[in-house]
Amino acid sequence: MFNQSPFGQTAAQSVPNPMKDYEVTSPPDDSISCLSFSPATIPQNFLIAGSWDNHVRCWEVEQTGRTIPKSMQTCGGPVLDVCWSDDGTKVFMAGCDKQAKAWDLGSNQVVQVAAHDAPIKTCHWIKAPNYSCLMTGSWDKTLKFWDTRSPNPILSLNLPDRCYCADVDYPMAVVGTAGRQIIIYQLEGKPEEYKRTESPLKYQHRCVAIFKDKKKVPTGYALGSVEGRVAIQYVNPTSPKDNFTFKCHRSTGALNGFQDIYAVNDIAFHSVHGTLATVGSDGTFSFWDKDARTKLKPSEAMEQPITRCAFNNSGQIFAYAVSYDWSKGHEFYNTSKKNYIFLRSCYDELKPRSSP
Amino acid sequence: MGRKKKKQSKPWCWYCNREFEDEKILIQHQKAKHFKCHICHKKLYTGPGLSIHCMQVHKEAIDKVPNSLPNRSNIEIEIYGMEGIPQADLKEHERQKAGSRPSGSDDEEDDEPAAKKPKPEGLLGTAPGVMPGMPMMQGMMPPHMQGMPPGMQMGHMMAMGPMGPHFMHHGMPMMPPHMAMMQQQGGPPKPLFPSAVPSSSPSSAVVGADFKPITSGATISAPPTTNNLSASSSTSSAPDTSKVNTITTTSAASKIIHPAEDISLEEIRARHHKYKKSIPTKVERESPHTQSTSSVASDLAMAVSAAHQAAVRQQDIIHQAQAAMMQRFPPMRPPISIAGTPVSSMSLVAPMRPMAIPGPPTLLGGPIMRPPMGMPPGMIGMPPGVLYGPPMFGTGPVIMQPRFR
Repeated sequence: MFNQSPFGQTAAQSVPNPMKDYEVTSPPDDSISCLSFSPATIPQNFLIAGSWDNHVRCWEVEQTGRTIPKSMQTCGGPVLDVCWSDDGTKVFMAGCDKQAKAWDLGSNQVVQVAAHDAPIKTCHWIKAPNYSCLMTGSWDKTLKFWDTRSPNPILSLNLPDRCYCADVDYPMAVVGTAGRQIIIYQLEGKPEEYKRTESPLKYQHRCVAIFKDKKKVPTGYALGSVEGRVAIQYVNPTSPKDNFTFKCHRSTGALNGFQDIYAVNDIAFHSVHGTLATVGSDGTFSFWDKDARTKLKPSEAMEQPITRCAFNNSGQIFAYAVSYDWSKGHEFYNTSKKNYIFLRSCYDELKPRSSP
Repeated sequence: MGRKKKKQSKPWCWYCNREFEDEKILIQHQKAKHFKCHICHKKLYTGPGLSIHCMQVHKEAIDKVPNSLPNRSNIEIEIYGMEGIPQADLKEHERQKAGSRPSGSDDEEDDEPAAKKPKPEGLLGTAPGVMPGMPMMQGMMPPHMQGMPPGMQMGHMMAMGPMGPHFMHHGMPMMPPHMAMMQQQGGPPKPLFPSAVPSSSPSSAVVGADFKPITSGATISAPPTTNNLSASSSTSSAPDTSKVNTITTTSAASKIIHPAEDISLEEIRARHHKYKKSIPTKVERESPHTQSTSSVASDLAMAVSAAHQAAVRQQDIIHQAQAAMMQRFPPMRPPISIAGTPVSSMSLVAPMRPMAIPGPPTLLGGPIMRPPMGMPPGMIGMPPGVLYGPPMFGTGPVIMQPRFR
């Protein structure tokens, strides 16, 4: 227990694939800004990734772990978010060109479906019984809802500040903004603000993911900040002790006695087990069990930060994107470094440990 | 004289060099700041106590006292209030107290006014004094528990063994290993400023305040940085930083790896000239909402017609490329058939590359994702029907291979 080598982590830094995972072929030419797996309505697994190189790429992921590049689309600027329509026929792409576009995979056509006054940071498809629409969150401090056929949004809501992160799991949506604001929306009937809560975190919000309760009803969210910390928040906690925060993506300071604290770049919940993964600027991912409040698995450090992650719909594949996230400024941006997307077989690793 | 002595021996915390009015508060501070379990927030009494608690209760090894200065993080030393502080450090502290006084330190009369505002003085004074010594202490630090228990990790890798290495066969250029080190090592030396800022603000707050929404730095929203993004012409970064809030670490012994500006990494990145160029292109300004019209439409028209006309040709390209890919992964074949699911994998393949014409693999293997310059964006994509067409679904269910089950 005490005689572990303190050098393990630093040595791992130089290996491109320290976890020996499956590498996605023909990765993007610049940092990967978003990742999304196709929904359960499609029998195969398709992976979509948006990048700072303005492209959105699509791969088919075979069960063997092999990836086949399928197609690519180009946007007018760096892509910041992608999402799938519920039926898996379309992919929505949003980014610095202040637009969101719908990419019809069947016909390979692209149509603009949304516009903002500033880059669009998030896009999510909402599938309600009585409507379906695209939700876009932008740095122009608005959250808009589009039915994709009309040039005007069906609804535009003002945000207290720039949208930094969002998640949707019908009938709940949550948006994290600059200035450490967090707003919860309910989507039943029509989207409306449900609750504004004080942030449990003291630093800039970076990522948010909704989790469900045992009955598979959205019940809360995990919020990650740039200060290596994640807050688990219930919308209506039965006891104040239900909410808690935990630290992650921090160095143990072996090098110089200092602790380096890294941003939590993304959070994803496992659809089956309800456990979660976090990825950080420190180049690691970790699997957690929020109910047992334990870490299930840490990873070795990659040679660059992990910018995003995603589970496929069945929870068997964990995809994570290794590329530069600007956390050390432009000085550390090295275009000669390759960007990677890795795929990991993760189903068992995310099982909660204790089985009562 | 006697009064002087008392002042100098004001209780202070060995872990963070902070001074306190009396030892009771110091002990409270230590319990809240240094001896608190980060997992269950239980307050222990000493460093070793915390270490044992974490080991026994949470099965986690703590190698350093939380929130401690780098050279004072030894968890094995038993310190309670002022008790247990090594003699050498006591002496050093006295010496520094005396030394950091701005006026002629020998003259005791001059000390008096300075002592009126002891807090900020001492805190600012100690930080620079302590920092330089820090790197030397490293050898003394207890071994760190990082990463995962070895058994678990190895076990997993072994499990991946038989299938995992497939990817190592392909021809992707790998980064020379040493390049990765630059990122880690090249950072600027840890600045001194973080220690000065936070320690003065919560000076009265004895409690660690883990959940308290303090930190004035981040609360007030920043001025609209979006203006900077759209204002295309001038991106002077210096004025920005002065207006915008900054991210500061609240502990002397840690640093948040983030640009100083308290705006998102993406906003900072989007300002970079490389990305600014591409933002104000085409459509954008002219009525953004005319879906599928204007320039998008023309692009589309081209793409669509091209897609239709070239469907056959594309299919060939894709077939060849895929055939090429197949060739790149010779070891992939055996597992597929061995796994006993030739149906799924082959039937997926079959409609897309009949006969699998082995075209020139080297030419087409890579560039499938990167169309030549002149091509409209839609060209290289999947032709209608290839991805979603009936053949794929018609071939029966995809059988899970053991790999991802």
